Amino acid sequence: MWAFFIRRLLQMIPTLLGVILLVFFLFNWVGGDPAYILAGKMASPEDIANIRHQLGIDQPWYSQLWIFIQQIVSGNFGDSWATHESVSHIFATRLGPSLVLLIPMMVIETVSAVCFALLVSVFRRSILDQSLMVLSTVMMSISLLVYIIVGQYIFASWLGWFPVKGWGDSLWRNLTYYAPLPIFLGLMVSIAPSLRLYRTFILDEINQDYVRTARAKGLTESRVLFKHVLKNAAIPILTNLLMSLPGLLTGAFLLERFFAIPGIGREIILAVERSDFPIIKAATVYVAIATMFANLAADLLYRYLDPRVSLK
Amino acid sequence: MNHTTTSPSFSPSLWNLACARLVRDKIGMLSLGIVLFFILLSVGSFTGLIAQNWDEEIAVNYAPPSFLDTSKEHTDTVSRPVIARQQINLYGLHDPLSAVLNQIELAHPQDTMPPNDEKKLTHLLLGADKWGRSVALKTIKGSETSIMVGLIAAIVATCIGTVLGALAGYFGGWVDDLLNWFYNVFTAIPYLLLIFAIAAVLNQKGVTTIILILGLTGWTGVFRLIRAEYLKHRQREYVLAAKAMGASHYRRMFIHILPNTFHVILVQLSINVVGFIKSEVILSFLGFGVPVDVVSWGSMLNEAQNELVLGIWWQLLGAGAAMAILVTAFSVLTDTLRDALDPKVVA
Amino acid sequence: MINHLRQLVINSTILFVVLFAISYAEAAPLKVLHLSLSAAETGFDPVMTSDLNTAAIEEQIFEPLLTYDYLARPVKLVPRLAQGMPVITDHGKTWLFTLKKGVYFSPDPVFKGKRREVRAQDVAYTIMRFMDPKNRSPYKFLVDHKIVGLDQLGERAKQTGHFDYDANVPGLEVVGPYQLKIHLTGTDYNFGHAMAQPMFGIVAREVIENYAGDTASHPVGSGPYMIGKWIRSASISLIKNPNFRDEVWQFTSTDPSDQDIIRRMTGKKIPQIDEVDLQIVEESQSAYLSFLKGELDVFGVPGQFAPIVLSGNQLKPKLKEQGIQLTRLVDPAITYYFINIQDPILGGMSVQRIALRRAILMSINDEEMIRVIYKGQAFREAFPIPEGVNGHDQHYQSLIQYNPKEANDLLDAMGFMRGSDGYRRQPDGGPLYVKYTTSLTSQDRDLEEIMKKSLDRIGIHFVSEKLKFPEIIRAERQCRVAMRLSSWIADYPDGDNFMQLWYGPHTHENNASCYQNSQWDKLYEKTEMLPDSPERDDIYKQLARLLEIDGVTKVSTSHIRNVLIQPWVIGYKAHPILPSTWSYLDIDTKQEAH
Repeated sequence: MWAFFIRRLLQMIPTLLGVILLVFFLFNWVGGDPAYILAGKMASPEDIANIRHQLGIDQPWYSQLWIFIQQIVSGNFGDSWATHESVSHIFATRLGPSLVLLIPMMVIETVSAVCFALLVSVFRRSILDQSLMVLSTVMMSISLLVYIIVGQYIFASWLGWFPVKGWGDSLWRNLTYYAPLPIFLGLMVSIAPSLRLYRTFILDEINQDYVRTARAKGLTESRVLFKHVLKNAAIPILTNLLMSLPGLLTGAFLLERFFAIPGIGREIILAVERSDFPIIKAATVYVAIATMFANLAADLLYRYLDPRVSLK
Repeated sequence: MNHTTTSPSFSPSLWNLACARLVRDKIGMLSLGIVLFFILLSVGSFTGLIAQNWDEEIAVNYAPPSFLDTSKEHTDTVSRPVIARQQINLYGLHDPLSAVLNQIELAHPQDTMPPNDEKKLTHLLLGADKWGRSVALKTIKGSETSIMVGLIAAIVATCIGTVLGALAGYFGGWVDDLLNWFYNVFTAIPYLLLIFAIAAVLNQKGVTTIILILGLTGWTGVFRLIRAEYLKHRQREYVLAAKAMGASHYRRMFIHILPNTFHVILVQLSINVVGFIKSEVILSFLGFGVPVDVVSWGSMLNEAQNELVLGIWWQLLGAGAAMAILVTAFSVLTDTLRDALDPKVVA
Repeated sequence: MINHLRQLVINSTILFVVLFAISYAEAAPLKVLHLSLSAAETGFDPVMTSDLNTAAIEEQIFEPLLTYDYLARPVKLVPRLAQGMPVITDHGKTWLFTLKKGVYFSPDPVFKGKRREVRAQDVAYTIMRFMDPKNRSPYKFLVDHKIVGLDQLGERAKQTGHFDYDANVPGLEVVGPYQLKIHLTGTDYNFGHAMAQPMFGIVAREVIENYAGDTASHPVGSGPYMIGKWIRSASISLIKNPNFRDEVWQFTSTDPSDQDIIRRMTGKKIPQIDEVDLQIVEESQSAYLSFLKGELDVFGVPGQFAPIVLSGNQLKPKLKEQGIQLTRLVDPAITYYFINIQDPILGGMSVQRIALRRAILMSINDEEMIRVIYKGQAFREAFPIPEGVNGHDQHYQSLIQYNPKEANDLLDAMGFMRGSDGYRRQPDGGPLYVKYTTSLTSQDRDLEEIMKKSLDRIGIHFVSEKLKFPEIIRAERQCRVAMRLSSWIADYPDGDNFMQLWYGPHTHENNASCYQNSQWDKLYEKTEMLPDSPERDDIYKQLARLLEIDGVTKVSTSHIRNVLIQPWVIGYKAHPILPSTWSYLDIDTKQEAH
């Protein structure tokens, strides 16, 4: 177990190095030179040279790369070039709103997707199953952009059930007042794929021999379903959930933009537009590390829940 | 276990069986019909049979759909009087073009008048966009672009994923380590940043760029599955037998094993098509959409983004609905295909 | 970190005390103005600011020496921190400013509980900061090469890495605690405009030095407001500065439409509004829907939204019934097409190339662009200096009129023959195309449509180049942008701010057309020596004409700013130059409650 854990941790180093190199070169070579924007409307070439010097982008690439690596090791990515705000502070403050959006979304999505998946698995190949599956396919076929534009117009403006946009600094108010509509619109596209995926997980389990044995032993259908099927289907469901978490963090940028939520996705787009390299570097490294740890956690969970799996 | 087959090779009879299953599935057949219809549409538009004139401005700006009887007043553009060039004060400066322009104006006096606006339609079948172009034609032309982008990008992604997955799974060892490392690096970078970075590298903005962005970011799923398939197959008897008969690595990888992974590839391909058609919308939102002389559903939805509050919903509806219908049909077809090809499911 | 925490505690304590004090003292509902900004703020150190949104907030927190009168049109410089207008002597080379007495900075722990008065030394310090290379100020150009001795100080700092704020700058002569004499290196009648920019809001040295490295998070100024709650990139709330001096609303105007504002506002203490709540809303649909619901008090209507709120020049009756107010204003800005004179395909000064450029510019239908893209909220502007800016000429006629037929004839005559595909070639048979640069936004996609259609009319290939905005600026500075529709908004309302866009020595700076014509440059240099006068206006006309003759530029449009205001907001009048005027407003809380 420990050997496995340490081996996996060590494996992260080359991956992280790959991420660092890829991002560094992609953005350094083609990511734009922010000096021209920061210098203002009437800058002379000397002003631009001064800014490039202040930012350290006039140095050779290897010393910039070395600085980048030092930053990762020390965890201090310096200040944003555009706003002079410290990068760690940016992520510390933008993470909250993203999570307020994502955690409820995740919980509701998982719970309802599992419930529906159980339901349709029980009534497999019935009208209910088929119509739910078609409905969910239709739901996930509509673009999130359409959901947002139409949803904001209808629910926030026309019916006036929700605020159009905004964000406060009280968790409770954000959660109950500002977040519900974006969460709801996000769910419209995210429930269906999970439902379809979980349905296959559950069906896989239902087709297993042990289920037949359990039924043959005379256990009630609900007991079979909840005790045996769900318990085993929970393994792929949970690992799937864990592994999708880091990606979601940056994936909500459409919702964040339209509902004026100061989350991480919006910040990254802003950073790319401004060529704000410190933020881009930090975002990549943070998300990469989060992804690797989520994968590791998923593997460990898998092992913990399913003793059949041996970890080499 | 209800596995009916452990046969090493995917026998033709199984493909027949799959086809038979497919034909029996009514919803599957319906969606196949819809997908075929859309493909026909885009082939028609590609060859110029239909929607060739989509970019002609045949109607007034934002002409409403025909079934709406809103005979709104259409204010004609006020054309300003033209000032003759000779009347313009040069403030004592010399114009090197004076002589040639004078000659032109003498030779073609009618050409000094600006062109008149021709008469335009006030209603259109599915309404018009802000330039007065037919939304119906745009939707059809858009289907060509979106399907082409989705299909080609999916083929690119699937090819990359399959080749790399095959190499990793078949050879194992350091090849596998290297490709796995590559896979890990790709999946660890935030998708959003990966898009921006690849877009910046490709620089030239056009349909090819979109295909490459999608193709280069979307291969990871295929890679994982194909690698697993090859890991499974490379020790099978038929592969070992082929080796004994002197078949090369290349032959064993692509002639012997590959056909046995076709069902996985096919399903992945169609999942990617669906995903990429949807992703194209987001790419358009981020500014990496198709160029102006091309129309896609993504570019239409982005144009329509601010039109809804103006009360102009037809472009949003046209592109949104067309996309929803095709993607739904394609997804259902994918499911049907997966079920039909799944050897575990009993007929 | 602990310092920060303590700071936070102190700040929020002050905030609470202030809020409670206000709510108890007046026992009236808080007057809160709800506004949105279309892009995130960048931090509040004036010397580092370059964007309008941040400047709008700084306008309320910091005070420069001068400002613009709220109601006067055309805009007029008036004193703000200065006691009166500066005394200008020596042909515009010496400027003597006298400060108001009894002006205090807003409270900050740095002042250790004492009130800190604004002195002439602070003004000198504020100006010196612009030359400090560490501050990399985007508005350095307003003082660059202008003040005697200051440039040398900046040069020395570049070498030593340390800017000596204690050094004696001959150009910044502190005459007394309240008097500063500024010696300029040459004649400059626009220096007063520089001293009215929010970036030149006065700061205190001890504050800047105490928060060194993080000054953008600790704005301390003497303005009517100070920062209350601040969630970065999401919301900023401005609260009253308790140290703000007694100032009374007393603007005058002869314009009949201003009389209602004057009647309702005159004699009120500035500021009336207790809190300004600013939200960052990037998508215009979101901002508009918020305004409709009353979540926002003011909404600047983006062009594409005009058809829903306006019919003709009037507010839609439905909105009028609700009491919503509309104010309109011509933005002191132009959009203009420029063609790069150094471009290998379009550049050069041969008659053929001039004709090619002129033909391209003749193929663009501005009227269509105004109708379709700007929804009528713009108008054709022919002169490089827009309305409301000194030197503007409203009777000026452009030499380049929309006329694709004549453009085709011209290209035919010059030997740009069409190939079998219907597109033209260079006279020597080489390829001919226009690489047109735009940014990645969806508005710019419309601009591409217009350009593509224009070039199709005259049979020239359209090639699109989409770049991120910083990349565009870089490419322009390197003379690599072939053609673009650019825009320029007045930093200060003087024609020089526009005409310098084509000055030869400004190539690689902001002369993006890389135009270098010695005849033009000589004329321009003459205008720099002249104050705003008919003599200067005449030269401006020649300059504008020469740009058209050489096919360098076609000025395209000026835009109308439409601002919607909720019925309960009192005293709103859009200002062409001031980025914000919130301290001059009031709210009718009774009406708002309805």
